[in-house]
Order: sequence, then C-alpha cells, then structure tokens
Amino acid sequence: MLLYDFIKMELQIMKKNREISNPPAPPDISEEDVYEAMKGIEGYLDITPEDFRVLYSLAYKHAISRLAQSVKARDVMTREVITASTDTPLREIAQIMATQNISGLPIVDAGKKVIGVISEKNFVFHIGGGKPLRSFMEVVAYSLRAEGCLSLPIDHKTAEDIMTRPPVTVMEGATLSQVASLMAEKNINRVPVTDHEGRLVGIIARADIVQTSCTVIFPPKG
Amino acid sequence: MDYFKKMAGTTKSPPGVSLSEITWSWVGGFLGIALVALSHYRLLGQGSDLTMIIGSFGASAVLLYGAVKSPLAQPRNLMGGHILSAVIGVTFYNLFHDQMWLASALSVATAIAVMHATKTLHPPGGATALIAVIGSDDIHSLGYLYAVVPAGLGALIMLIVALMINNIPRSRRYPEFWF
Repeated sequence: MLLYDFIKMELQIMKKNREISNPPAPPDISEEDVYEAMKGIEGYLDITPEDFRVLYSLAYKHAISRLAQSVKARDVMTREVITASTDTPLREIAQIMATQNISGLPIVDAGKKVIGVISEKNFVFHIGGGKPLRSFMEVVAYSLRAEGCLSLPIDHKTAEDIMTRPPVTVMEGATLSQVASLMAEKNINRVPVTDHEGRLVGIIARADIVQTSCTVIFPPKG
Repeated sequence: MDYFKKMAGTTKSPPGVSLSEITWSWVGGFLGIALVALSHYRLLGQGSDLTMIIGSFGASAVLLYGAVKSPLAQPRNLMGGHILSAVIGVTFYNLFHDQMWLASALSVATAIAVMHATKTLHPPGGATALIAVIGSDDIHSLGYLYAVVPAGLGALIMLIVALMINNIPRSRRYPEFWF
C-alpha cells in the first residue's frame, strides 16, 4: 500500500485510541481552488477543474511515495534495542517487558543474529495451556473460569518455546515505504532491522514511521 | 532571445491511453459518423440541395469519442461552437466572397474569438466556419440554413451517440458538464 494510506490508517487508529486528538490532515484542495488558480493562468487549459483536482491529489500521493523512497530504515530506526536470547526464561522476559514498558523484543543469538521475535501476543497465545487464546481479555475470562494458576504451562519455559520464528525483519537499506507495507501486510507492530548478514542493528515501530512521515506529508499548520 | 527560447517547449507529451480507450474511441467514432453519413446518403433525396455531412464532423468525432474529458468536447462547446461558427462563416462569405482569402481568414479568426468569448471553444468550429466560405456551391446556396442543416443537426446526432456510447464502459462518462 502507499505510504500515504498507511499513515492515514495509523492516524485514525491513534485518534480512536485517544493517543492524539487532532490528527494532521493533508491540504484539502477544492474545485473552487482549482477554478481560481486557472483564472490566474493566461491561455486555455484543456482540463476541467474537477479533473485537475483529482489529478492533483493523485500526484500528491505519488510525491509522498517518492519521498518515502529516499528515507531508509536506518534513518528511522531506534539503535538501542532491548533483546533476549533463546534460553532466557520467560519470567525474565516478562519482567523486562513490564519494566521497560515495551510490547515486544527480538530474540538474538550470540552473534547478534535475529532468531525470533516475542510480543505480548505470544504470551497470550501460550498462556491458555493448549487452548490458544487471542486477546488479553480472553485470558482474563479464561482464568476467572478455570481453577489453578494460568501461567503454569509456560512457567519454566524459555524464549525459544514461544517466540515467533522465522522473524519478520528488514535490511537497514529498506525504504520507509517497504517497511510500512511489510507492517501492514504481516500485521505486526515492530520490525527488527538487520545488516546484510542478518545481525541486529536497530528496530522500527509503527509510531516511528508515523512520526517521520508526518512532518513530510502533513506540513505543520499555522 | 526569450522569443526563440519559448519555442523549445518546456514539458513532455501526456501519457498514452489504454487499449480499452482506443477501442471505445473507435466504436464511438464509427457510430457517430455512420449515423450522420447515413442521414446524408440515405435519408436526403437524390435531388436535395441539403447536405448533412461536412468535414468538420470528422474533427468533432475525434473530440467527442476520443477525448471525452476535454472541455473542448463537451455539449455546450460542440453545439455552441458549430452553430456560432456557421453563422460567422456564412456572414463573412456574404460580405467578402469576392476576396476569398479575406473571407476565409476573417471567418476562422472571428469564429475563434467568438467561441472564446462565449466559452464554446470547439476546434471543429473553425472548420465549420471555413467550410461556409470555401463551399461547395450547395453549401453556399443554403445561406444561413447552413447553421441548422448540417451544422446544428449533424452535431446533435453526434451528441446523442456520444451520450449513449460514452457512458457504457465503466471507465468513461460523458459529459463532464452541460453549462
């Protein structure tokens, strides 16, 4: 999908979640604007005002995409990445995620190669103990009905027991457009960034893309 | 030197159209001219002084069926352009028919100016005005009736075909505006 569409979608979600109250909006060109502009050009223009307005907004999206090609993953990523290894116990990983207030982290080997990714979803999925659950509330509902401690099935497990593998990653030279497309396509919220040998160099979250793009796509008002 | 620099042009030709566009342009052009030509060759009697077909309709067909989004192809431009230009052409022929070069030039130039002023610019209008001057004799003998038959009526037939054919494919619609 076009980066423009990705950003619009993200801003709508952020507005719904009350993370932002006034999402920026692209300049809204009306047919009247075009008509007035045409008056300012000497000579006959062989296009109707409405066709030009449509053409303008399509060209605008192309311009955004073009700009999105020039920004790369390495320009946007966070370089300090919290990671764990395959044999890190899950209780430790849960503690890290809680303390650092992150919803996911990459799992790397000794050579810093990304082996898998753990997110809240992996915990939710495995806590059901054989019955895959999909959301936090499903876990709560299940635990209120069941007897005994829910987290027992995963109590003594390690990262590699629940991590998602193979992990979805991007190379540091990937364009912003490619990263956004990948996130939308795979429905993930963070992507580890690797060098050409698969070693972790950074991480990109959805909000990073939105933040970088906003100043380019939606010029600040006023 | 700006004067010559301007002649170098600044941009490039717009993108070409799809096969679907080319096909529907052909279909519209064929049907529009077929109806006008049939009305000329079949409907009018052998000894008729009237004519239903003039060269400018070929040009109108290009716009009506080949460039349906162009402001130049819209109904107001088609009808207004042909009728006004026909009247102008006949007028200048009447005034200057003994100086044909002058009648021709005045006719076309004035047609352009009047079409601009009335927002009915339609390139085939220039042809309609010119044809009123250069004739055939049959056309000359029509006098101002030329503005109705063939100019107005022929344009109307092509307009109806355009309304019916251009709206069939999903990617097309016609007209963009009436006024």
